[in-house]
Amino acid sequence: MRCLLLSLLLCGVTLAQDTGPFKPVQLDTTITYDAVVVTATRTAKELVDVAVPTAVVTAEQIQAQGATRLGQVLETIPGLQLFDDHGSGLQVQGFSPDYTLILIDGEPIIGRTAGTLDLDRVTVQGVERVEVVRGPSSSLYGSEALAGVVNIITRQARQGVRGSFGAQTGSFGRSDLTGEVEAATDRFGARLLLNRFGSNGYDLTPDVFGQTAPSFSDYTVDFRGTAELNNRVDFSLGVRGTREDQSNFFALTEGGERTTFDSEGKRLDWSVHPEMNVQLSNTYRLNTTLYAAGYETETRYRRQSDGDLYFSDDFDQRLLRAESQLNAVWSPKHLSIVGGGVTQERLLGDRYGTGDDAPQASQFFAFAQHEWLASKFFEANVSARIDAHDDYDTRFSPKFAVLVRPMDRLRLRASVGSGFKAPAFRQLYLSFTNAVAGYSVFGVTRIQDGIERLDREGQINEVYLPLDLFGSIEAETSVAYNAGFTFEPFSWMSLRTDVFYNDVENLIETQPVAQKSNGAFVFGYFNIAKLYTRGIETEVTTTPFSGLTAAVGYQFLQARDRDIVRQIEEGIIFGRDLNGRDSRLSLSDYGGLFGRSPHSATMRLTYQPARQDLTVSLRGRWRSRYGYRDLDGNAFANRDDEFVPAYAIFDMTASKRFALTGTTSLDVQAGVDNIFDITRPTLVPSMPGRRLFAGLRVSL
Amino acid sequence: MHRYAFLLLFASLVLTACDSDDTADEAEPLAVETVNSIEADPATIPPGGGRPVATGRYTLYSLEDGRVVLSSSEADPAVRERDSVSTAWDVGFRSTTVIFNGGSSGPGNAAATILAEAFDDVTEAPATLLADGNNQCPEIQGFGGVRPGPPLAVCTGSGNGWYNYDPAANVVSPRAGRTIVFRTADEQLFGKMRILSYYQGNPSAPTSDNASRYYTFEYVLQPDGSREF
Repeated sequence: MRCLLLSLLLCGVTLAQDTGPFKPVQLDTTITYDAVVVTATRTAKELVDVAVPTAVVTAEQIQAQGATRLGQVLETIPGLQLFDDHGSGLQVQGFSPDYTLILIDGEPIIGRTAGTLDLDRVTVQGVERVEVVRGPSSSLYGSEALAGVVNIITRQARQGVRGSFGAQTGSFGRSDLTGEVEAATDRFGARLLLNRFGSNGYDLTPDVFGQTAPSFSDYTVDFRGTAELNNRVDFSLGVRGTREDQSNFFALTEGGERTTFDSEGKRLDWSVHPEMNVQLSNTYRLNTTLYAAGYETETRYRRQSDGDLYFSDDFDQRLLRAESQLNAVWSPKHLSIVGGGVTQERLLGDRYGTGDDAPQASQFFAFAQHEWLASKFFEANVSARIDAHDDYDTRFSPKFAVLVRPMDRLRLRASVGSGFKAPAFRQLYLSFTNAVAGYSVFGVTRIQDGIERLDREGQINEVYLPLDLFGSIEAETSVAYNAGFTFEPFSWMSLRTDVFYNDVENLIETQPVAQKSNGAFVFGYFNIAKLYTRGIETEVTTTPFSGLTAAVGYQFLQARDRDIVRQIEEGIIFGRDLNGRDSRLSLSDYGGLFGRSPHSATMRLTYQPARQDLTVSLRGRWRSRYGYRDLDGNAFANRDDEFVPAYAIFDMTASKRFALTGTTSLDVQAGVDNIFDITRPTLVPSMPGRRLFAGLRVSL
Repeated sequence: MHRYAFLLLFASLVLTACDSDDTADEAEPLAVETVNSIEADPATIPPGGGRPVATGRYTLYSLEDGRVVLSSSEADPAVRERDSVSTAWDVGFRSTTVIFNGGSSGPGNAAATILAEAFDDVTEAPATLLADGNNQCPEIQGFGGVRPGPPLAVCTGSGNGWYNYDPAANVVSPRAGRTIVFRTADEQLFGKMRILSYYQGNPSAPTSDNASRYYTFEYVLQPDGSREF
């Protein structure tokens, strides 16, 4: 894909030289290295010329940090937060992890638990760079690209025959082993990566039986191949497989009796991604992609006393996609893409049904984009996409973006676009009864049958809604506004600021739809809530002297439920203090949606003296307090004991490269994550405290 | 002597009765009664395990006498029948539902309403209190339709009445600033109450591990029959 896009870009530039009026701006690149990104426009474009907020982390930065998993990379980017909920998820512009699409080479990683795609599943070995687009990109990518898109671009094989082996080990028995071999000629390239990542887990609450984080081992195999048939046709193939085994133990008290259990989890996910690019003419280039992915999990709880199986849950998701994208360079000033495809999904699982009951869904989509590079001063980009799905209403998602360059050192960006998120599998297909608490939850396509079945079994007391009203749901939708600028007052300083506003409707929530004879409820999913997130994000990057780069970022964020805002303004929302006194609350008492810090900051200091092959990297991130529970019945955090207190985490890594022989080199690295050993045992279980690590990498 | 004393007492009573402002200033504040963790049909796990079951029975409480008239754990149909059709109870609790003895809920004359005011700031019963069955409760909005809430004086449903339910934590929290003003079933005395906890032992930060359906609440009853407290 990248080959194609690069050549497309080159093609455009060549044409530009032929015809004269437009020349790309040559910026002082002391800081703004001329990175090319592909995510924001589905075409290659220089990072500085992208009209929507985009961040890039390069392999070099990832290595300087000593990062091994995707979460570690993303949490260093200003404005992004990790969020613990069934795994380590990503929060972009104040949205829950469900609302950010995560891609590898432009195709989605599948498998979410309660909406979270666990970022620790993804190794960053073999990665060229990670691109993050903030704000909705549903006009190109469809569902889930409501808050943003993360695109992991894998590295292609370099010329010649090479190999490398890397090992990192550290606290909590955490280790990462990576072996890579690659070979490439002018026309063919292949790279194979094997990675093992493992940990003994850790226990932040020793008085509770069971570990905070399980011990696990995770294996990844990743192959990337390219073949150029002739000047016009090239192929690429990506194959990836990951397997994880984890184990933990826990205790349950039931009817006054305490029982201990072993828990085991297995996960298998894989993807196959062939792609073909054909240069049809000077104007047209066609890209055709097939993509197949699977995600399977197995969960088992066994009683420790006799090994009896107490609980088991299996889940199996498959995705097949075929899509084509036609790129057209009409003239140096006009570039278009049109594309479309079909996706098929299938689910098997204890909570979703097996055999004939297994849910299946098809989706068709088509998208188009036009870029108008009017002049050195002005560029515009308009794009739109249609998604038609079996089980929810068709979505149309447009977007419009402009870039203005009033002077060489100043770029202004503005965009307005709509985003959407399809109803999740559980919201469509779930059929689940909690054995302990007795309640039932049904997805939209299952609720009518589910209630009728419970009714026949005499389990229903009262149905609140006429049954024929069930059965339709809409996607969650947003309209978003982003505006910002990048200014380089001096060759050694760059300032970026973006403001954002997301107006979100039709958020899906559960509501009781019937009461069972045991007093518990039957829940269904409905489009109910409305919210907004808005904020400012700013970053200053400087190079005060050669070899030192310093960056400081800050984000202000408000993420609020509109219903709560309205009720506070009506004066009918109160708080109860610890002495039991009730008082009326104002908007400033509203802690916003749970898990959102109104203020957060990042800093990054990289020291790389010339010719010494030494890199020292110091990173910090701070977030102000954020709400996590409600104790006084107003449905949000307002009292101190409803917030997780603010904290700051600092990491440091030092690396040194030794050249052994001509092409052989040795990298040695040591680092400390979370230098000041900050933990929040029950509130932030993903923070294990200070972690020391050391690593080696031999490159041949 | 005795007669003079009696006259003096009488005169002072008349005088104070004439000047109601003075009475209010001098009157002892009404006592706040606190009722701790009365059960309201707690769910139990049947012997041998399985999903929890509840009985569907109410606990009935007399605010006038400050006692439980009938507990949800009382299973004898004859006793339940006798007590629930009496006017001895004022308020009933079952799970998250709160009923008052009047209208569709019982033979008494109790009525109530829920105000969005802090408990301490409610000094007078509003002109209209509703008997169960006469209220209009918020509709629950769904796609293509709505369901009317049961027309109880204290509406059911999260965010509609006295509590909020957090589905993520599976915890029911009494809403701050929600005061139930009531009239009792028998003597028709006015009072106000607020619910403090839904969990056994009134824990300061309950989780879903705490035993639920245990009401802790406090109330004030005006014994003189006036609307002010």
